[in-house]
Amino acid sequence: MARKMLVDGGDGMEVEFDYDLFTIGAGSGGVRASRMSAGHGAKVAICELPFHPISSEKLGGCGGTCVIRGCVPKKILVYGSSFHGEFEDSKNFGWDMPGEITFDWKRLIENKTKEITRLNGVYKRILANAGVTLFEGAGKIIDPHTVEVHLTTGEIKRFTTKHILIATGSSAVLLDIPGFDDEMRGVVAKNLEGRGVNLHPSTNIIKIEKIEGGLKVYSDRGEEIETDVVLMAVGRKPNTTGLNLNAVGVELHKDGAIKVDEYSQTNIPSIWAVGDVTNRINLTPVALMEGTCLAKTLFGGEKIKPDYENVPCAVFSIPPLSVVGLSEQEAVSQTENDILVFTSSFTPMKNTISGRQEKTVMKLIVDAKTDKVLGAAMCGPDAPEIMQGIAVALKCNATKAQLDSTVGIHPSAAEEFVTMRTATRRVTPDGQVIKV
Amino acid sequence: MAAARCAFAAASSFFGKYYLRRPLHSPRLISVSPWTCARTRPAVSPIPFHFSSWLIGERASSYSADTCNVSSVAADGSFDFELITIGAGSGGVRASRFAANLGAKVAVVELPFATISSDQTGGLGGTCVIRGCVPKKLLVYGSKFSHDIEESRGFGWSFESEPKHDWATLIAQKNAELRRLLGVYKNILSSAGVTIIEGRGKIVDKHTVEVNGKKYSAKRILLAVGGRAVVPDIPGKEFAITSDEALDLPSQPKKIGIVGGGYIALEFAGIFNGLGSEVHVFIRGNKVLRGYDEEIRDFLADQMTLRGINFHFEESPLAIEKSSDGLLSLRTNKGMERSFSHILFGTGRRPNTKNLGLEEAGVGLDENGAIVVDEYSRTNVDSIWAVGDVTNRVNLTPVALMEGGAFARTVFGGEDIKPDHVNVATAVFTQPPVGCVGLTEEKAIEKYGDIDVYTTNFRPMKATLSGLPDRTLMKIVVDATTDKVIGVHMCGDDCPEITQGIAIAVNAGVTKAQFDATVGIHPTSAEELVTMRTPTRKIRLKGTKVPEAVVGSSQIL
Repeated sequence: MARKMLVDGGDGMEVEFDYDLFTIGAGSGGVRASRMSAGHGAKVAICELPFHPISSEKLGGCGGTCVIRGCVPKKILVYGSSFHGEFEDSKNFGWDMPGEITFDWKRLIENKTKEITRLNGVYKRILANAGVTLFEGAGKIIDPHTVEVHLTTGEIKRFTTKHILIATGSSAVLLDIPGFDDEMRGVVAKNLEGRGVNLHPSTNIIKIEKIEGGLKVYSDRGEEIETDVVLMAVGRKPNTTGLNLNAVGVELHKDGAIKVDEYSQTNIPSIWAVGDVTNRINLTPVALMEGTCLAKTLFGGEKIKPDYENVPCAVFSIPPLSVVGLSEQEAVSQTENDILVFTSSFTPMKNTISGRQEKTVMKLIVDAKTDKVLGAAMCGPDAPEIMQGIAVALKCNATKAQLDSTVGIHPSAAEEFVTMRTATRRVTPDGQVIKV
Repeated sequence: MAAARCAFAAASSFFGKYYLRRPLHSPRLISVSPWTCARTRPAVSPIPFHFSSWLIGERASSYSADTCNVSSVAADGSFDFELITIGAGSGGVRASRFAANLGAKVAVVELPFATISSDQTGGLGGTCVIRGCVPKKLLVYGSKFSHDIEESRGFGWSFESEPKHDWATLIAQKNAELRRLLGVYKNILSSAGVTIIEGRGKIVDKHTVEVNGKKYSAKRILLAVGGRAVVPDIPGKEFAITSDEALDLPSQPKKIGIVGGGYIALEFAGIFNGLGSEVHVFIRGNKVLRGYDEEIRDFLADQMTLRGINFHFEESPLAIEKSSDGLLSLRTNKGMERSFSHILFGTGRRPNTKNLGLEEAGVGLDENGAIVVDEYSRTNVDSIWAVGDVTNRVNLTPVALMEGGAFARTVFGGEDIKPDHVNVATAVFTQPPVGCVGLTEEKAIEKYGDIDVYTTNFRPMKATLSGLPDRTLMKIVVDATTDKVIGVHMCGDDCPEITQGIAIAVNAGVTKAQFDATVGIHPTSAEELVTMRTPTRKIRLKGTKVPEAVVGSSQIL
């Protein structure tokens, strides 16, 4: 349906666009921006590749990485694998599991795929309910106001649009990964080994050979390991090939990420980008935040920038790690005052009986002058669930005194956060450690 | 000196002030509680809630001029100890070691250890460590595994033969852990330089405690003797057990009748149900968890019922009968329930104030037997203080710790600290558990009139694969006028852990806007709390009288 729309800032000529917003990519950021824009009254279309668990230039699916091959399936697999540890822990609580306990990988994967397929359907309904038109196929930008879709039916269609949103996410490849708090990284590594994972630090794979029954891996330290599977998890790269960005003139960073300003606008005024394709903070809730802010900026009558301060996140190792705010290193380098570091390492109550030799570690970073809590970290069971509330506290600029005056919930692991009375060390801005 | 003090007390009460807000430094102890000095009760000052049912006639005898003097035991005015604490539980230990760390000479009196408490038995660590928080949580962990086993099937796990549980192993492990903690508490006290006196402490006078026939003088006495489970006086009550016994049974109940609808009754219901016992819960009222948010009460009962617990609402016990086969029957107002191997009463606890010498010393009690204290935990006797469950304020370990710490820092540390009982987060370790902080929706309507309520009732991710009917309910109550979050309530897996961080924010005065501005951690259940954008209901009743029927109804506006 043609509509009359005014071109922004141009020659004042009235032009008809098919849509107010055309989004390429129906993942976390794309769906959020699209449905919210439609909610603000905009006419919105979105295109997405056909659904498949394995992504490629031709395959994707509504829901995107998070739903199909990220957050959701990974958490399901973490749950599935955690049961093993639970069964071990149960012995000293009086449980006896006579006979064989078997794990059926195929069943887990089947049930996982059923669930992500269901969610894929849910996302399609979310878009339909919001009045967003969904096209299945690969999107390509022709000019600042035109998108071409190669539909899975074989047709190629062109649509004009006032705004284009690129939300094509990222894919796994070889890249650098940023680090977490050094002390906490050590805790995670120790826990992995405690649970039976063999770690080979400072080692690179130089060759992989196919052998009978599997693979053989050669390392630069002279190790040779036979294995069923080699999983490369060294980073992800933004999906910007096939979009024709070069021809249209959209600027990219060196790593291939789309360059955007604080409002998620590219160098082309009508082209915007959110989510992993912009490589800011690659987390679903951040993509959601970026999408929401964009929809409000474009169609909600209020220019809003996403806020990247104190974004909490979690690593679902077993046990998991969760952090919010500054790491100790970041706090030392970014704060002009001394910082106080509070740490607590304890055996969680369950392990006093289960016998599992695993400690929970918690950490608070406090500005020594203002008493403001700059960062919090925890590695232990339930850390991500616990950290969410801590993140809310940081959002209201909580001080250490406010944490200390909060009465604990007992017995819990979380109460440790409100009972850390003595600083472990004091660190000056130039990195000098003072024993407290 | 005494006369001047009494005059001062009268004067300060005349101006509507109850107490002199000054740090108490020894030796210039100036106690101006009107209870010790005034011969008439202050007419002007409002009586705080914990004084409301205070007065027992005989106490008038303590209003003598003598009580205004600092009682001198030794001729040179010295005491054996600056502080004697009776009771080495959460509050007592905290207060004692803090006081010792601040330089005071402290002794703590505690009964010898036993898992079952009595007039003769207790133990270092108190209720929390020996027969409360710690063992119950361990039993919750132990019983939860059955749910994990059920859940695991949808994730690909299968068992050649059905897993079995051995009660004796669980109890033995629990008891081993208790003993370890006892040792830890002993060390905590010794390292702080606190003298431990084993025995039953009794107050002889306001500066003297007697233990096993030996008298000790103290400048100050702290009562931290806690509370104990009570069983209603019905025929056959000797066949009933309390939480003490439930935590240490020689064998697992086959069919257990639990009387009570509070957290203790419900937590045990979850424990025994998780281990495979047939569980029946008898509740006098029509809902579980009186005092909690109405939606949470309903939701929890539904979830517990789905897990197999049988609730009998509006059913009260009249008698217990034992049959020849050794099984118990419970006669109620609705009929007879038979064949219980055990009947557990979780119907309430009472402060341990009998036989402590309190009446003789003139320490005031309320109608529940709780020691009456002011905001600083001071009793009406100027040298006697009380913290923890014996004062029946907020009966939680972290609160007892707070009260004990505040007492020590105020009395020995020169600070002026009142424990703050507002917005204390609590948890109920049912299965699924409950976590909450702040006001219930009902209380919020009463207090603020205009509130917005956000709720979400969802299936947690684990349940999407386990196929079990587990759900989670989360709720945020907002003062519509200020946008401040005044209550957060939740029921579902991990909720107690989730609530702690939320409690910090609520205590810091967080607004709903700040909640919404916080980025979620994904995937978690907790992130639901920062993603609730649309109020489920808006209530606008400010300035109006709230009709009974409206409270809790979702039919408002």
